[in-house]
Amino acid sequence: MTTSEKPGWRIIFAGTGGQGVVTAARILTEFFSKRGNQVVSGQLHGMAQRGGSVQASVMIDCGISPVIPAGAADCVVGFEPVETVRALPFMSKNTTVFMNTTPVVPYVLSQQAARGKGNGQYPSQESLEQYILAVTPKLLTFDATELARGTGMVKTLNVVMVGCLFGSGILPVLPEEFLETVMKTVPSKLADSNERAFQCGVEHGRKLCKEERTS
Amino acid sequence: MSGGCTPEVARDEPGAQVAMLGNVAIVRGALEAGVQYFACYPGTPSSEVGDTFAAISDGLGIKFEYSVNEKIALEMAFGASLSGARSMCSMKHLGLNYAGDPASTIPYVGVEGGMVIVSAGDPSAITSPNEQDQRHFSNFLFYPIFDPATVPDALAMTRFAFGLSEQARLPVIMRPTTRVCHTSSVVELGPLATSRNEIAFNRDPARYTPMPANARRMRKEITQRYQKAAELLADSPFFNRYGSGSRGIVASGVGYAYTRQIVEDLGLEESVSLLQIGAYPIPEGTLNDFLTSVDSVMVVEELTPFLEERVMVSAFKLGRSIPFTGKHSGDFPVEFEYGPDMVEDVVRSYLDMSARAKIDIPQPALPMRPPVLCPGCPHRSSFYLVRKAFGKKTVYTNDIGCYTLGYGPPLECCDTVLSMGSSISEAAAIAQTTGKRTVAFLGDSTFFHSGLPALANLVVNDANVTVVVLNNHVTAMTGFQPSVAAAADDSEENGLSILQAVKGLGVQHVFEVDPRDEEASLAALKQAKAASGMNVVISSAPCVVYDKRKRGGEKRAPLVIDQDLCNQCALCVLVLGCPAIEVNDGRYEIVADLCDGCELCAYVCNQGAIAGGGE
Repeated sequence: MTTSEKPGWRIIFAGTGGQGVVTAARILTEFFSKRGNQVVSGQLHGMAQRGGSVQASVMIDCGISPVIPAGAADCVVGFEPVETVRALPFMSKNTTVFMNTTPVVPYVLSQQAARGKGNGQYPSQESLEQYILAVTPKLLTFDATELARGTGMVKTLNVVMVGCLFGSGILPVLPEEFLETVMKTVPSKLADSNERAFQCGVEHGRKLCKEERTS
Repeated sequence: MSGGCTPEVARDEPGAQVAMLGNVAIVRGALEAGVQYFACYPGTPSSEVGDTFAAISDGLGIKFEYSVNEKIALEMAFGASLSGARSMCSMKHLGLNYAGDPASTIPYVGVEGGMVIVSAGDPSAITSPNEQDQRHFSNFLFYPIFDPATVPDALAMTRFAFGLSEQARLPVIMRPTTRVCHTSSVVELGPLATSRNEIAFNRDPARYTPMPANARRMRKEITQRYQKAAELLADSPFFNRYGSGSRGIVASGVGYAYTRQIVEDLGLEESVSLLQIGAYPIPEGTLNDFLTSVDSVMVVEELTPFLEERVMVSAFKLGRSIPFTGKHSGDFPVEFEYGPDMVEDVVRSYLDMSARAKIDIPQPALPMRPPVLCPGCPHRSSFYLVRKAFGKKTVYTNDIGCYTLGYGPPLECCDTVLSMGSSISEAAAIAQTTGKRTVAFLGDSTFFHSGLPALANLVVNDANVTVVVLNNHVTAMTGFQPSVAAAADDSEENGLSILQAVKGLGVQHVFEVDPRDEEASLAALKQAKAASGMNVVISSAPCVVYDKRKRGGEKRAPLVIDQDLCNQCALCVLVLGCPAIEVNDGRYEIVADLCDGCELCAYVCNQGAIAGGGE
């Protein structure tokens, strides 16, 4: 069931250009529209192709507005630690947050470090988690980049993250249905890696949500 | 975002529910209206309109072209309309300004085949150097304008617009904003057009030649045609009324989508009457009926108080002295995009409701992540080498494209940017006034878009300028559309030759360099610096992202920093700003997943610590 007060499901994908954030949102949109759900999705900000911050939203059966209001996300799927925290304005105490723990270090930090100006340090994982825990207890962290690499293709990170979302049980659909519908559309030479990545994500989503419920 | 193009757009299955991007829905609307001709110059957030036509036009017998610039795209669409074809062109908001000369006169002449101009707006200047409100084109130059709130609106309005254009004999503007262009949602497909306009150019010089005597006659006709458009719009479904309360809300564009959602979510249907203004000119009767049924008005629209002032005039003419909530009252800003939270706050205040529950979200200081030139981008090599040759004190004018990312440290090759092709004119005037050699950067697509006249001007009026054309063979920033500097088969040899164009204009000193050959490039750049008068450097190497796609995603082997040889001098980071080089606890490391293997850092390193990679 949806976790916010309003009907429908509101998902934010957050990451950096090149991580497949916009593609993940598009695949989810096509899947739910083919199921007969009303879907409104879009890239909220960012230049997806040049390494900048990217946020995309998917709203399922929520109405016609193209933008998620503050604090209204049911789930934030964070492809990168800092970018997960950048999505804080969409979180409330009801939001489930998945956070990939592998950073993509912004080049500005390397610039700072080389120039000896600014602190040049990527924020510690602990400090980033604290920002989120101050808003919602439902924070689930895992190394999705490593899992993606394990499938033989690190580019499957977005599939791992989508798998995690389906494994969590937040959406009103079983992962198997998504797998069957969506994997048909993937070019065959990529199908194996993508399916492994998705299953891997599903397992972690399930495990993490189970741990969260029992803790 | 080029993933928005799917063959679904041309599916012949009326009634099917399909998710599509707003820009793709515009194409669908045009197909349902029987569009026969399309021309565009790409520009975010409009680009997917053209990308979609590029993918489907051949199969559907639609004449398609990427034009050299927006003015030409507009003129091509108009020419096709004069031949009777239903025609469309697309561009970003600034593109319509660029096409302002023909745009000013097309309504005078009037159209034959229905003609729709897509001019996508960018409130908040998300991917543009300005934001502007194109709705002013409606009363300024007599264009009917559609202002869609949603993706289904974009489809339905485009489909309707062609008939409106033909019946009123006026060109029509479709003005989606970023939130419509780049939002995907479910639309219901209508039937694809089964008939097409007959093509014939019927000679009638007095009708098509707005020389002054004719223009004055046409001016009177426009008033009638514009009135006709308002009458046709009165019977359209784009002025929805929702709710039955006495508190009026009038909303346009995406502001309507936010407001409608809030009215539904808060269950305000009995308190408010909400009127969507989906098009301009607003039919007078529609607004009058609304104003006589409410005792106050709130107006929701992004950017200028365009709608608000129309509504005020109507209220004044009706003698209705009712309170207004909008921009003039200070409740809404005149800048930037709106969002659901801002609109909800004003709705609550307007209806004397309790304020929205505020969530106290901490705002942690996070490292910024601005866009950056990709690893392996040949522009980085060009910028590095030009700075090395011309030095810190030289003024560098820049232009519109990926290479604007030469802005700021460490590349510092962007002291000014203004508009397409302006780098050359700005550099010329700066060189003339300061007496110092100035360097202008622009890309291949921008060169042909509007660099050519500026270069001709520079040849005639001379100045100490070095024009560096960054030729990566593709219009990369907007999604890798083909540049005219490349041909349809993507081989540069078959495209327009920048070298021949430059020589044809009479430029005496032209240097052709490949920025991947650093030493040879540097030698040529030093010659360009030492010369007197104007000269041109053509720096050619393919866009690595586009090139990688053509190679099926195969990338070159990444480089490695030998930690025994690296002395942490920081030079590679300080001069290149490549996102593939990270500094971790003082160690300089190359991220293998990001590195493209271009070897520029190996060239820069004076310790010989960076190696590996290559073809």
